[in-house]
Amino acid sequence: MLKIWSMKKNEDVAAKKKPKTSAAQIRVQKDLTELDLPATMKTHFADPADLLNFTLTITPDEGMYKGGAFEFSFNITTNYPHEPPKVKCLQTIYHPNVDLSGNVCLNILREDWKPVLNLNSVMVGLQYLFLEPNADDPLNKEAAIEMSKNRDTFISNVKSSMRGNTIKGVQYNNVLAKS
Amino acid sequence: MSQTTVDATSGDWEGRYDHIDQVLNTAGPRTDPGFLAGDGVKDFLRNQAKILVIGAGGLGCEILANLALTGFKDIHVIDMDTIDISNLNRQFLFRPKDVGKPKATCAAEFIMNRVPGVKVTPYFGKIQDKDEEYYMQFNLVICGLDSVEARRWMSATLVNMVDPENPESLKPLIDGGTEGFKGQARVILPSITSCYECSLDMLNKPTAFPICTIANTPRLPEHCIEWASVLEWPKVQGDKKLDTDDPEHIGWLYQVASARAKEFKIEGVTWSLTQGVVKNIIPAIASTNAIIAGMSACCNEAFKIATSSAAYLNNYFMLIGTEGVYSYTFEHEKRDDCPVCGGESLDLTISKDLTVEQIIELLVERQDIQIKKPSLATPTSQIYLQAPPQLEQATRPNLSKKVSELVAEDGEVTVTSTSLPFSLSLRIHYN
Amino acid sequence: MTDVQDIEAVTTQVKIDGQPDQKTRKYDRQLRLWAASGQSALENARILAISATATSTSILKNLVLPGIGHFTILDPQQVTPQDAGNNFFLEGQNSIGKSRAKEATRLLAELNEDVNSAADERSLEEILESETGREWIKEFTLIIAHNLEKGLLDRLAKLLWEDAKSPTLVVVRSAGFLAEFYIQFHEHTIIDSHSDSTPSLRIDKPFPALLDYALSLDFDKMDPTDHGHVPYVYILVRALEEWKKTHDGKPPQAYSDKKAFKASILSKKFKQDEENFDEAEAQAYRTWSVTGVPSEIQALFKDPLSPSSAANAATPLTPDSPPFFHLLDALRRFTEKEPFVLPLTSTLPDMKANTESYIHLQKLYKKRSEEERDVIRELVKETGGEVDDATLDLFVRNAHAVKVMRGKRWGVLDESEEALGNAVDPSGKPLSIHLALSALSEITAKQISPLTVEAVTKEAQTILPKGKELPEDWDNIVGEMHVFSPTADLPNTAAFLGGMVAQEVIKMITRQYIPIDGYCTADLIETWTGILLA
Repeated sequence: MLKIWSMKKNEDVAAKKKPKTSAAQIRVQKDLTELDLPATMKTHFADPADLLNFTLTITPDEGMYKGGAFEFSFNITTNYPHEPPKVKCLQTIYHPNVDLSGNVCLNILREDWKPVLNLNSVMVGLQYLFLEPNADDPLNKEAAIEMSKNRDTFISNVKSSMRGNTIKGVQYNNVLAKS
Repeated sequence: MSQTTVDATSGDWEGRYDHIDQVLNTAGPRTDPGFLAGDGVKDFLRNQAKILVIGAGGLGCEILANLALTGFKDIHVIDMDTIDISNLNRQFLFRPKDVGKPKATCAAEFIMNRVPGVKVTPYFGKIQDKDEEYYMQFNLVICGLDSVEARRWMSATLVNMVDPENPESLKPLIDGGTEGFKGQARVILPSITSCYECSLDMLNKPTAFPICTIANTPRLPEHCIEWASVLEWPKVQGDKKLDTDDPEHIGWLYQVASARAKEFKIEGVTWSLTQGVVKNIIPAIASTNAIIAGMSACCNEAFKIATSSAAYLNNYFMLIGTEGVYSYTFEHEKRDDCPVCGGESLDLTISKDLTVEQIIELLVERQDIQIKKPSLATPTSQIYLQAPPQLEQATRPNLSKKVSELVAEDGEVTVTSTSLPFSLSLRIHYN
Repeated sequence: MTDVQDIEAVTTQVKIDGQPDQKTRKYDRQLRLWAASGQSALENARILAISATATSTSILKNLVLPGIGHFTILDPQQVTPQDAGNNFFLEGQNSIGKSRAKEATRLLAELNEDVNSAADERSLEEILESETGREWIKEFTLIIAHNLEKGLLDRLAKLLWEDAKSPTLVVVRSAGFLAEFYIQFHEHTIIDSHSDSTPSLRIDKPFPALLDYALSLDFDKMDPTDHGHVPYVYILVRALEEWKKTHDGKPPQAYSDKKAFKASILSKKFKQDEENFDEAEAQAYRTWSVTGVPSEIQALFKDPLSPSSAANAATPLTPDSPPFFHLLDALRRFTEKEPFVLPLTSTLPDMKANTESYIHLQKLYKKRSEEERDVIRELVKETGGEVDDATLDLFVRNAHAVKVMRGKRWGVLDESEEALGNAVDPSGKPLSIHLALSALSEITAKQISPLTVEAVTKEAQTILPKGKELPEDWDNIVGEMHVFSPTADLPNTAAFLGGMVAQEVIKMITRQYIPIDGYCTADLIETWTGILLA
C-alpha cells in the first residue's frame, strides 16, 4: 500500500480530526446564525432543534402589501447548498408571482440558484416580491393582468384579498398582521 | 478438461497472473520509491487488500471486473438499486432475466462465477446504512455513483474518519463519473487533497426553467413537461409522490405535457423526452465507463495506490471523446473554506465545570483563532446560536449550563462565525 | 430465447400509451446520443476482431453491448493459463486448452441477444494466402487488430488500403501501461458531427419575412407585458435597420459604435427588468459579425479530392458519387448565390418571449428553412444525385459543421523520413510511445532476444530519420516498456483501450461525432493521452 501517511507528516497532526456534522448542517448553521434580517422578517422554528425546517414571516412595512403577514415554509434537504431550499407560501394569497398552490416565482429558487447564495439572499428576494411585484412574468396570471391593465383595481384587490375576501371565485386567506 | 493444477485455497493456477506479475516483479523508471517489488506486493494485493466498490451500475460493473482480474480477492460492493432494462446497454454483468433483481447481489454472483477465487460481498442498500466501523475495514474505496448527494456523503464520511493517531484511518477514495462520450476521475486522499465538497461548485447543475415560464409562457417541449411534473402533478395527485421509475406516472406526465404542448402549438413532447427531463437522464455508454474504470477511476489508480507500482493520479482527470480524444489532468486545489475538509479544528481540554458562556469567552479571547460572536452546535443539537432571535432565545438558557452537561468526553462541537472562513470544529476533552 | 420471454414478463405488466418498445428502452441511454440513425448504422455493421486477447474482447464487449449487427473473432489459438487469468471473456481454468475464438465468442455473445456472432479458428496468414480469404475479409465493415505480428499487419493494412471501399482497419498496440491505436481509412464524411458551434440566425442578413415582421412591430405602442416579451431577434433586426439608416447602410463597426448600438437597445426598455432587451444587448454581436460561409466549409468546397461539379474540378461529380458529395456540391452552389450564406437553420434557441411570439418566430424560421432546403434538393437533382429526405434534412441542419476527413495507410509514418521528422515535437511523448511500440514489434518479428533497453533503443534509432534524436521522454518510456514487459496485456490497460477503441469505432460506424486524426497514444502510469499526427 502506498505510504500515504508519510505525506501527512508536515501537517499539524493534532488538529485534523473532523466532526460528524454534515456539510449541509454546518452550512445551514452558518447561514442562519449570520442572517441579517430587517424587522419585517422573522423566522420561526417549530422544533428549534431542527434547523432544516422552519417558516419565515414577512410583514412588509411599505408598498401595497403593507399590513399583511405572509408565511413561507423553508425545507432544506441534505443536498444543500447543491440544491436550493424548497420554499412555499403557506397561505392562498393574491400576488402575481405566487400561485394558488403556494409556488413562488423567484429566479434564485430555481434556475439561478448557486451554492454561493445563501438563505439570506433567498429571504431578501422574497421580501422584494412584496415591494415590487412583477406583472410581466406571472404565476397568477389574473392578478398580473389586473396589475398591468388596471392598477387601482389591482391594489384594491390586494387589500381585499388580504382581509380574506373572494376575488373572481377564489377565496383568499386573511393575512392581516395581528398587532 | 484442462490439465492445469489449481491451488485449492486461492483458486489460482500456474501462470494465472503472468501478465500482472510482469509489472510487479521489478521496479520501473517511474515507480514510487516505496515500491517493494516481488512477493510482498503480490501478497498484499492478493491476500490482504480489502476494497470497497460503491455502486454496481455502469462504472461499478467495470470496476468490479477489473479489480477481480487484477488480483484483488476480497471485494465488497454496495448498491441500493435494482436492475432496469435500460441498464443492459452497458452494465454487462446483468442479463435480461436479472431485470428487477438487486444490482449488488447480481454483480457479486457474476464476478465470483467468472473469476474463480475472488470473494465479492454484496450489500443491497444505502451507503448511509453503514457506520465508520464498517468503512474502517477497507484499504481503499472506489466510487462509481451518479448521485451528488451520495458522493458528498461518502467523501465527508471518509474525511471525518481520519484520525491523526491512526494512519490506517485514512482511506483513499477514487471517484469516477461519465456522461456520454465524456468522463472524469479523481483520487481523493481524505484530509490531504481536495475532497468532493471542495469541488461542489464545479458541478453542472441540471437545467431548471423559470417557474413563471413554465406556468405562462412555455416555448419548449421541456417547459410543457415541467409544467406537468412541477405544477400539475402536486395539484392533481395531491400528496401522492411522483415515482419517476413508474411507467404509469411517466405516462400520465407525458399525456398532460402533450395536451399542453398541443394547446400552445409546441412540437416535440415525446415519451423519451418526458422521461429524460423528469429523471434528469444522463446519456451513458459502455465504452466511456470502460475508459474511466480502466484508466483512472478506478482500477488503475487502485492498483497503483495499493501496490505503489507507479505514481497515483494527482488528482483530477478529465476526458472528452466527442471530437477526437482529448484528456487532461490537473490538481484540484483543496479549499480552505470547505465545510468538510477545510477550516480549522482544535482539541480543547477544559474543566468539567466550565460553562457554555465561559467557553465562548475563551474562544473569543484566543489569539490564534480570532473569532467573533461564535455559534456552537453538536452534530445532534444546538448549544448556543447567536441568531436568529428565536434560536438565540431558545438556546440562551444553555449559556449558564456546564459544557460537560451538553457535550460528552471526546465529543465534537461545530463553531461558526462571520469571522471564520467556514467553520471551526472542536473536540472537547475534560480534565 | 427464454431471456426474451422473461424480459417481456418483467417489463410489460403495464402497457401505456406512447411508451417506447423493448428495444428502445434497452438502448435508451445511447439513443440519447446517436439517435435511431446511429443505432441503425451500428446494427448494420459487421466487425472482425483478429485474435481474442484481453484487449480485443474488451473492445468487442463495448460494441456488442450497444448492439452492432455482427462480430467474428478470428483466432487459431487455444486458451493458455495466462489468457485465462487476464481475460474476462474466458471462464478461468475451465477455458484453458479450448479454442480461444469459440470461448470468447460464446461469452461475448451472451451480452446481447440481438447481436450475431461467429468464431473462426483459421489463422490470418491462411486467410491472406487465398483470394477467397482476401475477399472474405473485405466483407466486414471494420477490422480490429490488436498486437498483430508486424509482417501480417503490414500485409493486411496494404490489402485493405488498395481499395477505398475496403473495411476500415483499427490497429491497436499495447505493452504494459503503454498503448496506441490508429484508424486506417481513405475518407470519412460526417454530417452530424455534434458540433458545439451553432448556426447563424442571419440577423445581419434577415430574410424578407423576418425583416418585414420585425419592422411591422411598433414597440412604443405595445402593451407593456408584450413589450417585455418581444424576442431579441426582432429587437436586433429592427435596431440594425434603424442604425444602418443613419450609418451609410453599415452595421456598427468601431468599438464606440458597438457601444452606442448596445446603449440604443437598452434605451428602448420600458422598465429596468425587461430581460428580452438584456438578451438583445448580449446578442448584439450578431448584427456586426457577418454571416458567411465558415472557412472550414469553404475549405471543403476547394478540396481537390472532393468530387465536385465545378468546371475545373480534379474529381468530377457523377451520379454514382456518394450522396454526401452531391449535397456538399449543392451546398457550394447554394452559397455562391445571394446572399452568400448557408441554408437557414430551423432550430431557434430559447429566448425570453411569450409563447405566441416565440412560436410565430419559430414558424418564420421553419418556413424559410424549408424553402431553402427545397432549393438544395433541386440543386442535388441537377447533378443527378439521389438523396432521401431524412439525409437532406440532416445535412441542411448541420451544414455549418459537416466534415470530411482523409486518412493515411497504416505504416506510412514509420516509412516516411519526412513525416517522422516532422512528428518530433519538443514534448515528444506521443512519438516516444509510438516508436517504442514500433521498435518492439520489429524486434519481436525479428525474434531478437534478450529484449533489452539497448536493443529497443537501437531499433527505434533505425526507424527515425538519420540525424534525428530520440525524444526527451524516451528513457522513461522505453524503460517502462522493457521493465513492465512487452507482452503484458494488463486488465486495466485492456479495459481502457476497450473503451477508447470502441468509442472511435462507434464514431466511425455511426458517422457521428469526430474520430481521432492520427495516432492516439496513452501512458497509463501518468493517466495521460496524446495525439501523434500522422
